[in-house]
Amino acid sequence: MSENHFSRSGIFSAFSRFVPFFGRDPLVAADQVTDRSLVAVISILTFLAALTACAAQLTAATAMRWQVMMVSEVTVQLKPQAGRSIDTDIVRASDILRGTAGITSVKVLRREESAKLLEPWLGSASSIESLPIPRLIVVQIDTHQPPDLASVGKALADAVPGTSLDDHRTWTKRLGHLSNLFLIASFGALLLVVLTTGLTIVFATRGAMAGNREIIEVLHFIGADDRYIAGQFQSHFAVLGVRGGLLGGGAALLLVLTLKLSMMIPDGLQFSGLSEVPILDWRTVFVTFCVIVLVGIVAGLASRITVYRTIGMLA
Amino acid sequence: MSFNPHHALTTLKKVEGSLQAFPYRSVGELVRFENVGLRYGVGAETLTDVSFSIEPQSFQFLTGASGTGKTTLLRLIMQALKPTRGTVVLFGQDTSLLEKDGLTALRRRMGIVFQDFRLLDHLTTYENVALPLKVQGRDEVTYRAEVTELLNWVGLGELIHAKPPILSGGEKQRASIARALVAQPELLLADEPTGNVDPSLARRLLRLFVEMNRSGTAILIATHDLGLMDQIEGARRLVLADRRLYVEANDV
Ligand SMILES: Nc1ncnc2c1ncn2[C@@H]1O[C@H](COP(=O)(O)OP(=O)(O)OP(=O)(O)O)[C@@H](O)[C@H]1O
Ligand SMILES: [Mg+2]
Repeated sequence: MSENHFSRSGIFSAFSRFVPFFGRDPLVAADQVTDRSLVAVISILTFLAALTACAAQLTAATAMRWQVMMVSEVTVQLKPQAGRSIDTDIVRASDILRGTAGITSVKVLRREESAKLLEPWLGSASSIESLPIPRLIVVQIDTHQPPDLASVGKALADAVPGTSLDDHRTWTKRLGHLSNLFLIASFGALLLVVLTTGLTIVFATRGAMAGNREIIEVLHFIGADDRYIAGQFQSHFAVLGVRGGLLGGGAALLLVLTLKLSMMIPDGLQFSGLSEVPILDWRTVFVTFCVIVLVGIVAGLASRITVYRTIGMLA
Repeated sequence: MSFNPHHALTTLKKVEGSLQAFPYRSVGELVRFENVGLRYGVGAETLTDVSFSIEPQSFQFLTGASGTGKTTLLRLIMQALKPTRGTVVLFGQDTSLLEKDGLTALRRRMGIVFQDFRLLDHLTTYENVALPLKVQGRDEVTYRAEVTELLNWVGLGELIHAKPPILSGGEKQRASIARALVAQPELLLADEPTGNVDPSLARRLLRLFVEMNRSGTAILIATHDLGLMDQIEGARRLVLADRRLYVEANDV
């Protein structure tokens, strides 16, 4: 009853004007229970697809931002050398770096800061005091006019023994690979979900047509052509598909927006990692919207193709 | 001579017009069976060497004992069955060469009353009767009055909004007859159209068929009701017996 009311109200009655025969005394005897479960299945699938797509979009954006951060940063490590003062060496090394073109800032980490970075491996016991801790210099480079890092590294090593320059290339590469891999996996998952949606529509359409076989036969005899009969089924299932897509996609959007809002509020969900990420911008909303449209198109196509094939077999 | 596009167009339209009318006039027959045989599955033929034709505006009964193949013969005409042998020509077209669109076009020129009615249970009487017009894409405002009038004529005026499951056998029968007649077909095939009604209603329905016949529809009624057949003078009788069809010319 409410389902029926729903289908004839608002957007759907507007839709029925453009898709002939839907909504107004349909010739297809629709099974409300089947219809409702179909809408439920498709909305769940769309919800999952939309979340997958959002996750992929976020990963791509985050990975890109991290990559930019890492490319613009270089670390110089200075290992303690026997018979040399590490405090003098580190000043010398940072002076050389400051004198190099293309370097925008040079920051020497204090001994305590370097020790803190090693804490996960060495622990924070006082015994660390006596250990020879390598020192670090964090260098920001001008990404538009980057210095020749290889020659900078060589110059440093010549002037101050025990230095090594790490341009994070290994890490950026790995991060790139990882995010690409994740993107491909997400895309595959999205494809599978969309495919499942299509198949669900195919089965439902087939079932309905088998159930309406008598009606199809009578319609043929009284002069209906395939196009007319196909229209009866096709628009019915396309609309169910779109409805499921809107429900599932809408739920996903709602979730995404709630997350976004809760992160805007100070002291809200301030995940240490997430708050730095360019999470949930309007591109996420756009991606979700695209998934809904995609599901709608797939639903329409699947029912259309199935209807024409099945009519051919029934005739 | 210069080319005149307007002239070319009118000539083309004339040619189109004559193409449409051509098979009807030259062949002259709505239906022609030539040595048709039909076998269901394996075993003996249900119909053997059936040859006959139906002229425009003619009136004929198809008769024969139960199980002799009346329904089968009608199914061959309405293209629900393909003949095992022989040729079925409909409106001048060999049906073995027919494409799907052509089939739809042929079916729109005939009305069918099924022995088991075949009304759509989820539609009202009105919607059922209007269906042949609706599936042709006609707008409802153009036929509403027409359909209502026909429903009144067959005595279903009160039951316009009722659905088939609550109709009596005779009411369903009348609805299915109305549906077959509503598009004013050139050929009407009726399988036992008076099987479920009392004699007086049977006579009224028969009058409806006669009216339709006068306005140009050829009628083929399958029945084993001899009394019914006697009411129409000059109607031909096609008799099925022993798998064959015998035509009784009954011109008075
Ligand atoms: N689909 C089918 N498959 C096999 N045999 C069939 C099929 N349809 C009909 N028959 C057989 O063909 C024969 C003719 O059947 P048909 O229905 O044409 O008879 P009928 O003259 O219309 O009979 P009735 O007067 O009882 O309606 C019967 O013996 C019937 O059993
Ligand atoms: Mg019969």
